[in-house]
Amino acid sequence: MISVRLTVNGRAVERDVPPRRSLAEFLREDLGLTGTHVGCEHGVCGACTVLVGGRSARSCLLFAAQLEDATVTTIEGLTPAAGLSALQSAFRDCHALQCGFCTPGMIVAAHELLAENPAPSREEIRAAIAGNLCMCTGYVSIVRAIEQAAAARRGGSLP
Amino acid sequence: MTTWVGAPVPRKEDARLTTGRGRYLDDIARSGLLHAAMLRSPHAHARIVSIDVSEAERLPGVLGVLSGAEAAAASQPIRPLIPTPTPLRDWCLAVDRVRFAGEPVAAVAAVDRATAEDAVERIQVAYEPLAPVVDPEAAIEPGAPLLYPELGTNVLWHDVLSYGDVDGAFTRADGVLRERFEIQRYASTPLETFGCIAEHDAGTDTYTFWTNDQRPGFTLAILAESLGVPQSRLRLVCPDIGGAFGNKRRPAYLLTCALLARKTGRPVKYLEDRIENLTALMHACNGVMDVELAYRNDGTVLAFRIRDIADEGKNLVSPTQHNLIKLGNIANGYRIGAIRYEPYSVLTTKCPSGANRGIGKPFMCFAIERTMALLARRLGLDPAELRLRNYVQPAEMPYTTPTGSQYDSGDYPATLRRALERFDYRGRRAEQARARKEGRLLGIGLATSVEPAGTNLASYELITGRRAASGSAEAAMVRIEPDGQVRAALGNPATGQGYETVVAQIVADELGLAPDEVHVARGFDSLGTPSLYLSGSYSNKFSVTDVGAVVGAARKVRDKALRIAAHRLEAAPADLELIDGEARVRGVPGRGLTLREIARTAYADVLGLPPGEDPGLESRHFHSNPLAAPVDERRRVRSQLVFSNAAHCCLVEVERRTGQVRILAYLVVHDCGRELNPGIVEGMVHGSTVHGIGAALLEEFRYDEGGNLLTSTFMDYLKPTALDVPDIDVDHLETPSPFTPLGAKGVGEGGSIPGPAAVANAVEDALAAFVIRSLPITPERVWSWLNLAGETGARRTR
Repeated sequence: MISVRLTVNGRAVERDVPPRRSLAEFLREDLGLTGTHVGCEHGVCGACTVLVGGRSARSCLLFAAQLEDATVTTIEGLTPAAGLSALQSAFRDCHALQCGFCTPGMIVAAHELLAENPAPSREEIRAAIAGNLCMCTGYVSIVRAIEQAAAARRGGSLP
Repeated sequence: MTTWVGAPVPRKEDARLTTGRGRYLDDIARSGLLHAAMLRSPHAHARIVSIDVSEAERLPGVLGVLSGAEAAAASQPIRPLIPTPTPLRDWCLAVDRVRFAGEPVAAVAAVDRATAEDAVERIQVAYEPLAPVVDPEAAIEPGAPLLYPELGTNVLWHDVLSYGDVDGAFTRADGVLRERFEIQRYASTPLETFGCIAEHDAGTDTYTFWTNDQRPGFTLAILAESLGVPQSRLRLVCPDIGGAFGNKRRPAYLLTCALLARKTGRPVKYLEDRIENLTALMHACNGVMDVELAYRNDGTVLAFRIRDIADEGKNLVSPTQHNLIKLGNIANGYRIGAIRYEPYSVLTTKCPSGANRGIGKPFMCFAIERTMALLARRLGLDPAELRLRNYVQPAEMPYTTPTGSQYDSGDYPATLRRALERFDYRGRRAEQARARKEGRLLGIGLATSVEPAGTNLASYELITGRRAASGSAEAAMVRIEPDGQVRAALGNPATGQGYETVVAQIVADELGLAPDEVHVARGFDSLGTPSLYLSGSYSNKFSVTDVGAVVGAARKVRDKALRIAAHRLEAAPADLELIDGEARVRGVPGRGLTLREIARTAYADVLGLPPGEDPGLESRHFHSNPLAAPVDERRRVRSQLVFSNAAHCCLVEVERRTGQVRILAYLVVHDCGRELNPGIVEGMVHGSTVHGIGAALLEEFRYDEGGNLLTSTFMDYLKPTALDVPDIDVDHLETPSPFTPLGAKGVGEGGSIPGPAAVANAVEDALAAFVIRSLPITPERVWSWLNLAGETGARRTR
């Protein structure tokens, strides 16, 4: 077992973990944060995307033991205490999800994009979520939702 | 009254699913839960000589190991959905022979997944390799290696179904177009993999299964039979399901976990990893189709002769359905006088083929719509004009095809015309001509389709010669609780379709409420959800059967509430209406009873009920679609019951140097009748179309000659990303079906059916000199056609 101390969704966490425990398993099983989903375990599908130090990362490809002193944010950390965030509302309004399995990872990726680029073009949105597979929506409504959320966060609305 | 049906109501599900509060299989915790891992065959075909599990059993943390022989001793063979000609015995684990690389041979239950996987590596199996049979045409040949020697053949079904004067039509024809098409193996690959938890309660000798199985009715029956346990002692629960598309069904895994749970006395969970999912769950059936089309020189299509070889892999769950289901769209939208269909359903040593969005119909549509494109080219006709000359006309609805399908409603010419206009077809043709002059390869592809919905299981009689399951039906429940609040449940677990929302919209309209006032149960629970053997999420059936079940249950409970209210108010039930949660006497303001007051009478003050009225305020309704009928004496059958239709237009550019195909524009005009929730419908159209595009350009399960899968991860089995697909433009017509309670038709399979043909037609149009016979159209293949002209492969895609 390896001892690891990190910050998850703003809370200090200290645990002993087996060396082979992935960050995804650590979040889901040790911390009960089941909003992070596991879709492929080889770093392609993006369902397990979380923020590590503000940058998106595949939690299936990181070991928990690597994350000493890291700051990790999951979908739970991007969810307001009451109601939905601008991105979450936009996903609902635009029907940007069906089965919902990719949605937490998709929202994490979109959050990272909007943090850096408050007014992304459609192509920039598509590039930003190209590492996240959605098998249901064909991405059209997801792109729309991120556009709408960006506009809402800027305080404007879409033409 | 319909206030809510037809509105793009935001989904009730989304507050939890956007915040990570969904509850999928992997999120379910059980005390004492063990984790299972499976040992899978490395051989495509081999005899199992011996298995030694002793080293695995000795590993600390391992609580139980199950071999095939032990499973066979402890359970019965799994009964297929469609019986095979000779009963074949196939257990949840391979017993003496493996028939595809990836087939489970043994399973381990341990305290955690890593320990279970470590233990699997310690199981020693001695195999005697046998010759694999990978190519379905080779599998038909005499002397081919046999998967089941007791069957004497690899062919599960071969027949010749002839409808109308086929030979006469070919004799009278001006010409005959002959072509051969192939479809590859691909899959919709739901993002959540398949799995289950099985728990045995020794005290009551009952079993509970949590699973993302999309067809619980059928699975429950199999579990009872194979476990040798009365179905009254089984409970099956579906949580949120992370996509399914037909793939999520494998009773064998539930059985394996149940046997391990019985053996260890602990709940046991198994969840596929992605490689297991891609290697062993379910592939869309690959196949070969020989099409002959008899035509007149004015473009009139007279008849089809089709020979269709479906490669089932090692499919004993639902064999032969890949041929049968094609009867639903074999005529596509065209008025065709005569059809001969010669199906072969063939076993090979590959992953089981199975239901995958559209099942069989994408290949059928691909073959017909590719043939139409080639005929247009041969006759020098515009492909749109050729289709318009052959469509079934709206005045002919309902129209019966030669094979017995009844097209219930729709305006196929108007759908295509709307598409041509919105796509600016003429303008784009001019753009294409200009681009050609500049040396750019632009192509426009059209494909139009019918989209059948609601399988009539009686159609299986065509294969088996006798009726087992039949019809098309579903079950639902609506209950007004003692406090007046409303709850509903459906026998079909949602796998992403937003049923909680749509069912709430329907019930809200029937009871005069808002959708937020109707709680719809998540998923499925056999203890509380009414269900049938036919219950589940399959064959595009929601609009055909499920809506009727919900409407029926809501109306029954509404009528009862009104009878109770009428009795209490001393009015006639016909004088009452339900508005805003209250039964009111029409025209008498202030005279009414709330649902809460009615419910109080129904549950508590039962002496206040009308004479002869039973207490309670709950109803169940089992809806059978009235169109379902047995096979007739001419072997015609309505294999599916209600038909949507669509026209797809695709503009592509092919990069000459790299062979890369880029989709520049994509339009879908579709007609699924009454749209119950247009927001959900549009998402289904987008998603299904991208499944079609993925199959056309990217996705392929490739096997080598030894039967080894070469594309078993998402790094080599490529899915469309947001950068691979365009913004899909969607428009719709709305021709309600007269044969469903709210006029809705199927929409789930949608673009997966014509999508591959639309893209292929566009690429072929861009390349002009080549005939595309197979998919996917990868850059490598396009480049080789463009640059290796003269070689034998140049006019074949592989």
